[in-house]
Amino acid sequence: MGKLKFYAALWAAKLSRPALKLTGHNGTNFPGELALKICPDFLRYVGKPEHVIAVTGTNGKTTVSNLLCDILEMDGKRVLNNRFGSNISSGIATSLVAGVGLFNRPRYHAAVLEIDERSSKRIYPYIKPDYLVLTNLFRDSIMRNAHPHYIADFLTASIPPETKLVVNADDLIACSVAPDNPRVCFGIRKMDTDVTECINLINDNRICPRCNGDLKYEYLRYHHIGRAYCPQCGFRAPEYDVEGRDVDLENMTMTIADREGSGQYRLLSDGVFNIYNMVTAAALLRQLGMSHEKIAGYMDRTHIVETRYNVEPVGQVELVMQMAKEKNALACSRAFDYVSHQPGRKELFLMMNCLGDEKHWSENVCWLYDCDFEFLNSDEIFHIVATGPRARDYRLRLLLAGVPAERIDCQEDEFAATELLRFEPGSRVYMFYGTDSLALAYKVREKVKALGEEAAK
Amino acid sequence: MKIEVLYPELCNLYGDLANAEYLARSSGAELVRTGLRDTPRFLTEDVALVYMGGTTERGQNIVRDVFAPHLDGLVKRTDNGGVTLVTGNALEIFGEYIENEDGSREAMLNLFPIHAQRHMTARYNSLYLGRLEDMDIVGFKSQFGHSYGMNGDGLFTTVRGAGLNPDVKAEGLRRNNLMLTYLLGPLAVLNPPFAKYLLGLMGVAEPALAFEDAAMDVYTHRLEQFSQPERGFIYH
Repeated sequence: MGKLKFYAALWAAKLSRPALKLTGHNGTNFPGELALKICPDFLRYVGKPEHVIAVTGTNGKTTVSNLLCDILEMDGKRVLNNRFGSNISSGIATSLVAGVGLFNRPRYHAAVLEIDERSSKRIYPYIKPDYLVLTNLFRDSIMRNAHPHYIADFLTASIPPETKLVVNADDLIACSVAPDNPRVCFGIRKMDTDVTECINLINDNRICPRCNGDLKYEYLRYHHIGRAYCPQCGFRAPEYDVEGRDVDLENMTMTIADREGSGQYRLLSDGVFNIYNMVTAAALLRQLGMSHEKIAGYMDRTHIVETRYNVEPVGQVELVMQMAKEKNALACSRAFDYVSHQPGRKELFLMMNCLGDEKHWSENVCWLYDCDFEFLNSDEIFHIVATGPRARDYRLRLLLAGVPAERIDCQEDEFAATELLRFEPGSRVYMFYGTDSLALAYKVREKVKALGEEAAK
Repeated sequence: MKIEVLYPELCNLYGDLANAEYLARSSGAELVRTGLRDTPRFLTEDVALVYMGGTTERGQNIVRDVFAPHLDGLVKRTDNGGVTLVTGNALEIFGEYIENEDGSREAMLNLFPIHAQRHMTARYNSLYLGRLEDMDIVGFKSQFGHSYGMNGDGLFTTVRGAGLNPDVKAEGLRRNNLMLTYLLGPLAVLNPPFAKYLLGLMGVAEPALAFEDAAMDVYTHRLEQFSQPERGFIYH
């Protein structure tokens, strides 16, 4: 009966794919939703590739998954992935439907699946990854994710005992996940930009997991990411099995090394997050036996997905589309930090509002007070336009962050707000948007471009 | 004048620390931070406001253990009219116990006759609209459970949203000027009248808030939005 139900689910899901394509609805999770509706155990029965790699964590899982997928494909592997679907159970089911033939035979060598942390309980009982790559654990949505220790416990309760973790040793919260599982730890040795005291509002790992004493850091990158130790009890973060080192932002290179050797890598981005993403991907690929030379060569041919960061000339300014997830203090803090360190004069357009929340209730704005708006208090950031449903909240938060009132404009309507931009010649205009406001941001961008061109005349 | 933040290394979720910072900025008070290994300053010094924010579930137990020896000091302070504000799930630390989904119980400080029921698989997220004297209070809740056992008045009277639990209007707890609420995050920043009320209790004559116009603009807009009958209050 179980098998019968499964095949009914598989065939119905497969049939739905051409129908969706014909009606212009490809890219949705519908096939997976349908399969799970007909057969709730669908993920248990569906054929899986020989190697399954899961990628999870608060930040970087999409970038790392894409890097892994691209590199494995360059290496001649047929890789199943969910990059065009979602990272929850229905999205995974949709990908797996595509990954098998009519009689459930897998058609791919490997699967690289980006998996939402909160979906673990619905996925790992059925899909037992050979490797689970854990990028990091940070504060995310207050409503869904509570706090990173909660997510760590959630993952620990879900991850199969035989799965090998590839985990960030510079993140003690991530390291606390599934403590009995086999693991490979990666990290990045001291960088020139490191500090030893946290300057961020969020640091979710201030006390020693062993004795509750104050943790210290040999070096700290941001928030709780760095090499921690406890001067009270002698606790230390795990040693690196794979490490990034000699990061050279001027020449855009770094070395990635492990016990068997090392390689010189070209940096894909100067953002520390993306340097971590590279080391993370390399750590996994080394587990699969790929040489540093090959990984570095393939990585050199990849790029970071455009929707996250994109620059184009508009009139006498440059327009930068900067992804900064709404309701995610950490993602916005990282984006603010990055932008504040970019050279030159800058004008910001803040529109990372959760538009979905606005329709049904009202966005919980607590995250604004976890987010380092203080990074925006810089003379080079000469003007900030706060817009969208939470424009007033942004203005108040900016004022409390020390940004002078005369640098802030506030206009709820996003299109009307574009009229407030000054387009100072030679400056950069940064548009901050989130996943929820992505579609609107690209529409607003068209108006910004038109105004920017007009201002240059 | 001093404002003391208790255990900021643990009790710091959801922008809670902005409360103490905003009140300090608005009053010129010195902000002092007391860590887990320190003795609270309010025991030996004149402290105008003691503040404790929300924490993790593990953090609740750590704070309970660390604060237990100082509970009598807090009671004495409270009986003498001292002002203390506790937000988010730190409220539960001052109840009798927290009951987990499996029926196990974690004893807490037992200052108030309430107990919390924790459901780690059912997070409760809602908007909140309530009253304190002549003030409207707006805020947010995001928590793994509710508290039960209180029959009297709370800190706030609920207009919309849940009180200490969805079946009661009383939100939070109050004993003299010891105030505890499940509302989390920058409560004082989002409620300028409440911030002024706290400053008044702290002894600030004619309190004025930092960026009061901007804060009032935010508050007025949110109050109007939360008062709309069609506005959904529970997050799904």
